[in-house]
Amino acid sequence: MAVGESQLGSDTESAVDEGDVEARVGWRYTLAQIKQDTTARWGLYVVAFVITVATYAIVDSNLSLLTFGRLPDYAFAQALPIFDHPTRIPPPGEGTQHMPPYFPLAEQSWNPLPAGGTIEHPLGTDHTGRDYFTRIVYGTQVSVFVGIVSTFIGLSIGTIIGAVAGYYGGKTDDILMRVVEMIYSIPPLILIIVFTVFVGGTSIWYAVIGVGITFVPIFARIIRSRVLSIREMDYIEAARASGVKDRNIIMRHVVPNSFAPVLVYATLQIGVTILVVAGLSFLGYGAQPPTPDWGQMLNISHGYMHSNLWLSIWPGLAIMITIMGFNLLGDGLQDALDPRIDD
Amino acid sequence: MSSEPLLRVENLKTQFFTETGTVRAVDGISFEVREGEIVGLVGESGAGKSVASMSLLRLVENPGEIVAGEITYKGETIFGLEEGPDGELQERDDMLSNEEIRTRIRGNEIAVIFQDPMESLNPVFTVGGQLREFIELNRGLSKDEAKTEAIDMLREVGIPDPEERYEEYPHQFSGGMRQRVLIAMALACEPSLIIADEPTTALDVTVEGQILDLVDDLQDKYGTSFIWVTHDMGVVAEICDRVNVMYLGEIVEQAPVDELFYDTKHPYTNALLNSIPRPDRTVTELEAIEGVMPEAINPPSGCRFHPRCPDAREVCKRVHPEAKTVADADGEAHRAACVKHDAFDAGYEDSSMLEGAVGSTEREPESELAVNPAGDDSGGEGRE
Amino acid sequence: MKLLKYTIYRLLQAIPVLIGISVITFLLANLGPGDPVSLMLQGQEHSEELVRAIEQRYGLDRPLHERYITYMSGLLEGDLGQSIYYQRPVSALILDRLGPTLLLVLSAYAFALVTAIPLGVVAANRRNEPTDHASRVAALFGVSTPSFWIGIVLILIFAVKLGWLPSSGLYYPWRPPSSYPGINGHLELYYETARHLLLPMIALGTLQMATIMRVERTQMIESLQGEYVKLARAYGVPERTILRKHAFQVAQLPIITIVGANLSTAIGGAVLTETVFNINGMGQLFIEAIQQNDYQLVMGITMMLGFLFVVGVIITDISYAYVDPRVTYGERD
Repeated sequence: MAVGESQLGSDTESAVDEGDVEARVGWRYTLAQIKQDTTARWGLYVVAFVITVATYAIVDSNLSLLTFGRLPDYAFAQALPIFDHPTRIPPPGEGTQHMPPYFPLAEQSWNPLPAGGTIEHPLGTDHTGRDYFTRIVYGTQVSVFVGIVSTFIGLSIGTIIGAVAGYYGGKTDDILMRVVEMIYSIPPLILIIVFTVFVGGTSIWYAVIGVGITFVPIFARIIRSRVLSIREMDYIEAARASGVKDRNIIMRHVVPNSFAPVLVYATLQIGVTILVVAGLSFLGYGAQPPTPDWGQMLNISHGYMHSNLWLSIWPGLAIMITIMGFNLLGDGLQDALDPRIDD
Repeated sequence: MSSEPLLRVENLKTQFFTETGTVRAVDGISFEVREGEIVGLVGESGAGKSVASMSLLRLVENPGEIVAGEITYKGETIFGLEEGPDGELQERDDMLSNEEIRTRIRGNEIAVIFQDPMESLNPVFTVGGQLREFIELNRGLSKDEAKTEAIDMLREVGIPDPEERYEEYPHQFSGGMRQRVLIAMALACEPSLIIADEPTTALDVTVEGQILDLVDDLQDKYGTSFIWVTHDMGVVAEICDRVNVMYLGEIVEQAPVDELFYDTKHPYTNALLNSIPRPDRTVTELEAIEGVMPEAINPPSGCRFHPRCPDAREVCKRVHPEAKTVADADGEAHRAACVKHDAFDAGYEDSSMLEGAVGSTEREPESELAVNPAGDDSGGEGRE
Repeated sequence: MKLLKYTIYRLLQAIPVLIGISVITFLLANLGPGDPVSLMLQGQEHSEELVRAIEQRYGLDRPLHERYITYMSGLLEGDLGQSIYYQRPVSALILDRLGPTLLLVLSAYAFALVTAIPLGVVAANRRNEPTDHASRVAALFGVSTPSFWIGIVLILIFAVKLGWLPSSGLYYPWRPPSSYPGINGHLELYYETARHLLLPMIALGTLQMATIMRVERTQMIESLQGEYVKLARAYGVPERTILRKHAFQVAQLPIITIVGANLSTAIGGAVLTETVFNINGMGQLFIEAIQQNDYQLVMGITMMLGFLFVVGVIITDISYAYVDPRVTYGERD
């Protein structure tokens, strides 16, 4: 075994890249396996719950059911202009000195912070009087949305790069995989922040794209190693010999055959994405106020540790449970689809 | 026959308790190994040969367990049960403890050679280091003495430049060379019995021949007994003195090697013999055994071989035959578990043919023509 | 000798990657819609002349590829340019802040390895027993919880509620004790360092610990099922020796790879941990640089972190080659 280029992140490959999963593809099989595997089942429950809450939050933000129809902006409103902290870098000439995006608030002792436990505010309110429970619920949509969309971006670009590199091999492979390795070598959080700030401007959209791009290498590697093993198979040879276009071979045979390991990785990756975006928001480069987002809520609550420590607990728990759901599902899928280690 | 055999196994049962049910991997086998002889344990994969041989060292892996039977080695009880005061079976007092088995039996009394020489050696330690460790442990030698011994042994099994090879890692050895290392390892511990679990299956035919010759020579020299686990009748003919044929956890035929080949008593053994290519027969005559072996979790009723047996009759579905002596070979019992023999008196002759049976006519044993290369000199009796 | 050759080979292999990192960073920093000059001026009133002057001073009036070549030739001499905000050489700023980050990351790894490996081994050895289940659940929590939140919770418990440990800052053990008021002697300094380092180390190390534990467990389970383990058992090797030597040694190889590959996550985590615990390391410097739109400094830090990652991976590769006798040095595939 030669250690060389493949050492970077080879753990990600070896974990799922076993030929055995070949025949075990397709939704029906996967679902049947999930039903059998306890881990996967629990993961599925949690993920289904989180997605339901997120969907509900989208509907509710228009109907204000959760907020008893009192304030449409119950979750979003900013009670005092003093807490308005623009973090987007202003376009040149706009003339406002922008404030540091993280920990923008000093400890505000004059602000009443109800401890919670009332029907109206089960988790209390934040420093501006917004209901914390509503904000936590609304935060679900941002996390889930960001997790799925960025993973999808990483997956799509990664699939194309990995499939092309693996299928054509040679120079194409070398060049593409080198580029991928370069992206991989910059720590994701750093790359995302640089990308967001210098290319886009601080906004959740650029964060989503940035996160997606940083995860391209992971998917490109998985797909490539799958393609390399599938490429040599007889039916691909046959297709090639009978003059089927390369693009069609890749899309019809090679990509679908990589379904199982990619599904596992995409699921696990959604968890990682939510983790990264939470960090990003915590630093002030993800979702921007007044959008309710867990990471950004932790950023603000950090300034109120001494007056209400629970404000720092709830968003973290929400993040943890959500990520755990995706991790459980991913682990369960891996167990179910990769028979190598059975527990 | 007169003296106590080296190893005696009686009615050994090893079962695996899995979620889907109990797997009777070894279901009541009895055999013995005498000093200085090579005893074959033959059968298809899944017949329970490996589990049986590992049971002898009490090395059955979870969820497996030896549930019944008695294993006696040199008068000591490796495994034995008795009925306790509460009527439950419990381990006998004279049964060796786990610690005793580990320190006194494994390695220094009974050593093993595994099937896969590629996997059996630890990839991150030097070949010499592994040899030395086992020699130190089983013979109580010092490091330096063990090293000298290891190098001598490597030379003995025909490894060139043993001093240099001692320092090398397993991946630097070829398959045949690794198997030689494993043989050296077994012999260096100076055991009285070596269990060779399909030691040549993973090797090329030429290498296999060399290894068999080597074992033959070394066995002559050291007088060690062997249990040779294999599925290859050719190997059996070449190396074994006595043979036990296993099918689905049971021994279906037990005889000295020549007897087995020349006067086959069980249809399964016959099928095994017919399925190997022989120079005296053209390939068109080669007969595969019909079907696959059923799972030991839910064995067929009656004779376990009946669904695949060319001689099966209605009675075979009902009667489960225990192995009985069906012939005498110069004082050695020739045992077989098939109701077609008179000893069983199960009404085989009167029983009707099975619907859709694999074959209908009993085949003439063609063993007169079977060549038995090399095995003849060392085979047979007269070694005690 | 072989190992030296392999090291050189791996270092040479890293050069294109490092160049790639520089290109990516350079492009990101220079192609964005916000151009450096206006970022620098931060919307203040400015004249055309001022813009010209700034452009000239930083060489921004020249074409992109020329600027890149200038930057790279400076880089070869260890010159990462001048920080616009601090008005100091970027390299000096980075050197100032490198210590705390390295201390944090290394201690987090030490914490992770020291706890994860025994836990993984025990879990594998007692597979499907309560110990195993407990440690697997713990690992699941570990990989699912953001490091900065662990930091916050630790602060809430140990600093805010119990008041046992400090919640921010770090004492640098390499500085003379006299530079800290109230610290007498090295021992006291080390003690303070340890007290300040404990919480951030756990916060940053938990994810690594959980990841390593999972891999360790899987590898040990696989290793314990190996034929070589069966052989050792058959030769009467004590179970403890098998666990600690025969099975263990083989199972450690993938751990080395994991440690290297996870380095980028750890560096990202360090940025967050430094923020939570207010430690003046590279992470904080990076955030400051981003806030001040100090693109020279951002480029320098990004290059440096990329470089750290590449070096980390090379070190793990080499130690892998050192530990695994099967590695063929310097040959690819």
